[in-house]
Amino acid sequence: MLVGILVVAGWVLVALLAPNFATHDPLSQDVSHRLDEPGENGHIWGADALGRDIQTRVLYGARITIPAGLAVILLGSTIGVLMGALAGWLGGLWDELLMRITELFMAFPTIILAMAITAALGRDIRNAIIALIIVWWPSYARLIRGIVLEIKHNEYVDAAHCAGATGAWILFRTILPNAIAPAIVLMTLDIGNAILTFAGLSFLGLGPPPTSPEWGSMVNAGLDNFSQWWMWLFPGMAIASLVMAFNFIGDGIRDIFDPRLRRD
Amino acid sequence: MPLQVFFLRRLLLTIPLLIGITLFSFIIANAVPSDPVSANIPQNAFDNEEIIAAFRAKWGLDKPPHEQYLTYLGNLLRGDLGVSIKTSKPVLEDIRQFLPATVELAGFAILIGMALGIGTGIVSAVWRNSIADYLTRGYVVIGVSFPIFVLALIGLNVLHVQWGIVAGPGRLDFIIRDPPAVTGLFMVDAAIAGQWDKFANAFSHIILPAFVLGSFVAGIIARITRSSMLEVLGMDYIRTARSHGLRERRVVIRHALSNAMIPIVTVIGLSTANLMTGAVLIESIFAWPGIGRYAFRAATSQDFPAIMGVSILIASIYVMVNFLVDILYYFLDPRIRVA
Repeated sequence: MLVGILVVAGWVLVALLAPNFATHDPLSQDVSHRLDEPGENGHIWGADALGRDIQTRVLYGARITIPAGLAVILLGSTIGVLMGALAGWLGGLWDELLMRITELFMAFPTIILAMAITAALGRDIRNAIIALIIVWWPSYARLIRGIVLEIKHNEYVDAAHCAGATGAWILFRTILPNAIAPAIVLMTLDIGNAILTFAGLSFLGLGPPPTSPEWGSMVNAGLDNFSQWWMWLFPGMAIASLVMAFNFIGDGIRDIFDPRLRRD
Repeated sequence: MPLQVFFLRRLLLTIPLLIGITLFSFIIANAVPSDPVSANIPQNAFDNEEIIAAFRAKWGLDKPPHEQYLTYLGNLLRGDLGVSIKTSKPVLEDIRQFLPATVELAGFAILIGMALGIGTGIVSAVWRNSIADYLTRGYVVIGVSFPIFVLALIGLNVLHVQWGIVAGPGRLDFIIRDPPAVTGLFMVDAAIAGQWDKFANAFSHIILPAFVLGSFVAGIIARITRSSMLEVLGMDYIRTARSHGLRERRVVIRHALSNAMIPIVTVIGLSTANLMTGAVLIESIFAWPGIGRYAFRAATSQDFPAIMGVSILIASIYVMVNFLVDILYYFLDPRIRVA
């Protein structure tokens, strides 16, 4: 978990200070240096087909990937938690309806649904994030609904009723704070997955435009110059290291919050 | 509860879900502000009113949405998924053409994933905290974190380009013709026709993409196998079985594994979704003429009949696989039969 925190912190630092670390401009092209090998002409990780510095672009890529992953998780979980809380709290027909809807969303494989949505909305980074949020919220809704159902008949909820609290007060101030911990655990376990799917989408060309230094689309650009391995290997490793670090943190946080799930 | 009742009850539950899937695909394909006309008419025909009007009329784009949906559902029940705007062929025909390639790839991948995942999961649970256990746990973290499209590129570069021990993209070498079609699965067809050189070639082409696709699933399966086995191995009846003097292998396989199977089978069922997600990426890298690549092409050209057809197909496959998993529970867990 410590390793995970260090790696993520490192990437966040890189994202914040990318202009200070970078040796080149991420967008400026230099055709005379196209496909430079790593180490050649000051390109530590080589250059791409348009002579752009790979290392610089990987560093700048953190500025796209980390916020995108966070946005998907934060907004997706917020929608999911609200939906799930409402379903569990209102019960009856509302519950039935909302849960059938989540079941429906979950029947579609992530990338197929996200692909259809980005195709329909148009290809850019904002729409890729919107598509992932649409794909992401149902698992949070299901999780929170189950917990709300479990605790809404607890004594302290009845006590709040007797004290004259309104429905909204009880739901948001009494029930939700007691139901939120598992959602936070799921968020940390999930963020790596969100980043992976986002990178997959942009690898398919359904995310940011090909000029932007996004890791997934950089890997895709490397497909055309397959034997120039540095073009796809370095951004690919960047994705892997960040996702792995987040997964380490997620496992650690789960162990802290829920010792029952501890793997040993 | 007898099997027939259990079976029917689960089957009935899937019907509203399947109808919902069609409605949902329809809403995505239609309720968004995009214009299939501009995506599919050549640029130089943009100002030609007649061509655009004819296009709209042909695809029913000028009717109200609910009528379009009911028409679509009616046609779907008759096996008519509409005509792909991109390929100008019926979507069902396209699916028939592309599905076998994906079934072969995904089927092979899930076999690799199960063998690798269950195998390493058992080993790491039985010899807990051994080197094998640490290797497995490391593999699980890497397997679920590493982007498979990068893994595919590394594999292709090292195993195909540099070492030349596996074949490159595609299902067969260019000069080799398809085996006589029976199932559409090239390896099976080649074996039926007795063309073993073709079988070897198809195997050499499928092994790398299937392995990459299976490695992700293997990580998930290994994780759940390990934790499920650890839980079961701590049970009293395992101690009882051991105290009866049973051989360790029999205890692990017969007594522990069969009781640890339910979560494993569940995860295998759920991982069909991961397989399809992976198939889209893997098929586009390996030029694999399957349903994932078809879906990707449909999505990038806003070919809505094809997008709808494929998403309905894939979501239905997912629902059916998980229906089968539920049926498997019936055989794996005697308690369900009694309840």
